[in-house]
Amino acid sequence: MSQPIIRVENVGLRFDSFVALDDVSLAVNAGQCIVICGPSGSGKSTLLRCINGLERFQKGDVWVDGVSVRGCQDLPKLRRGVGMVFQHFELYPHMTVLENITLAPIKAKGLSRKQAEDLAFHYLDRVGIVDQAQKHPGRLSGGQQQRAAIARALALEPKAMLFDEPTSALDPEMIAEVLYVMRDLAQGGMTMLVVTHEMGFAREVADEVIFMDRGRIVEHAPVDEFFSTPRAERTREFLNKILLKL
Amino acid sequence: MDWQVIIANLPLLMSGLAKSVQLTVVSILFSVPLGCIIAIGRLSHRRWLSGACTAFVNVLRSNPLILILFWFYFLVPLITGRNVNDLTSIIAAFIVFFAAYFAEIVRSGIQSVGARQIQAGLSSGLTYAQTMRHIVLPQAIRAMLPALITQCIVVFQGTTVVYVIGYSELLHTAASIAERTVRPVELYVTVAFIYFIVCYSASRIARHFEKGAA
Repeated sequence: MSQPIIRVENVGLRFDSFVALDDVSLAVNAGQCIVICGPSGSGKSTLLRCINGLERFQKGDVWVDGVSVRGCQDLPKLRRGVGMVFQHFELYPHMTVLENITLAPIKAKGLSRKQAEDLAFHYLDRVGIVDQAQKHPGRLSGGQQQRAAIARALALEPKAMLFDEPTSALDPEMIAEVLYVMRDLAQGGMTMLVVTHEMGFAREVADEVIFMDRGRIVEHAPVDEFFSTPRAERTREFLNKILLKL
Repeated sequence: MDWQVIIANLPLLMSGLAKSVQLTVVSILFSVPLGCIIAIGRLSHRRWLSGACTAFVNVLRSNPLILILFWFYFLVPLITGRNVNDLTSIIAAFIVFFAAYFAEIVRSGIQSVGARQIQAGLSSGLTYAQTMRHIVLPQAIRAMLPALITQCIVVFQGTTVVYVIGYSELLHTAASIAERTVRPVELYVTVAFIYFIVCYSASRIARHFEKGAA
């Protein structure tokens, strides 16, 4: 097997006395989709931020496509190799959808406007909102905004995509359209690390599922095993709660 | 009342107004960029830099404009041992003084944009400077435009302070005409009217942007 796209090894992070991440290790291989779930404050989002160098950790290291985050001399370059999608979309409200998508390809990657716009339309088409390109984000529905944010991340042609609770801020009827796009991406072979509580999505799309609690990985198993025979008591408890809710 | 005196001296008053406006515009043109730099400095993680910028803002905002003007007018030539011309020292004092106020407006504007937008910019591979320039500042400027315009009005009104060192802006011009013609009422009424027109129009513009932002 070739080296994993993302490798997290023994990462530890504390804010003063609060331990946010405690000895976390995982690997995401090319084409894999791994789902991370867990209660809020368990360190899921912090872990994603460590992977693209937005958060500094004190212990361990992360490698993205063989490049160490800790020793990285060119973080912008490393970051544009990893697409990130946020809970609250974080589209830039003063720009059109098209400008949102072309900004980083032009400024960070040095593409021409023409190249960047071609790329933008390609990915807008892929997420199904090519007709919204000239609008400002405020005019779009939540689901459309999140799809635009996914297109923005894809336009950098990243090696992997990180999703930080991409559907948590959405109305129920808009969750499906975003999950549909994500499923399509996973089936297209995109390497994905997804923080979500959408267990239906995990069951159907994920290769492996990770359960985190209080900064630690409590359970990490192939998807079937995770749902059929979770080993840790804490995982069973969490799954019961979350599945009963559905 | 003899309004003839106003008509006769209108060109003189207008040249006074021109000087007031000129002083205002030049001060704003330099103190806004300086304010931006100080605001970004205040938000820096480097302690010495944010400390220095905070100190600058606090010292300047805790002193009256007229004192800052005296500093530049009397003390700077004394310290440097060189003769500085009136207008230069006036403009320097205004730039430094109002930069402190603009810095505070810009700082709160930047902080209104929020850390998550910065994370979004950085995560897409933009540098911190690019994130500031393309994502944070455009939004911040929109948010702070009403406060910026209001502050510009304050600068314009502040130009009357230079009366004390005899620079012939609008108020000083009017005062000398009043003295010469012994028509203080007519002149001070007229001057008040001119200040009102300029400041009130500017505040209407500020309101327009306030509505636009909401």
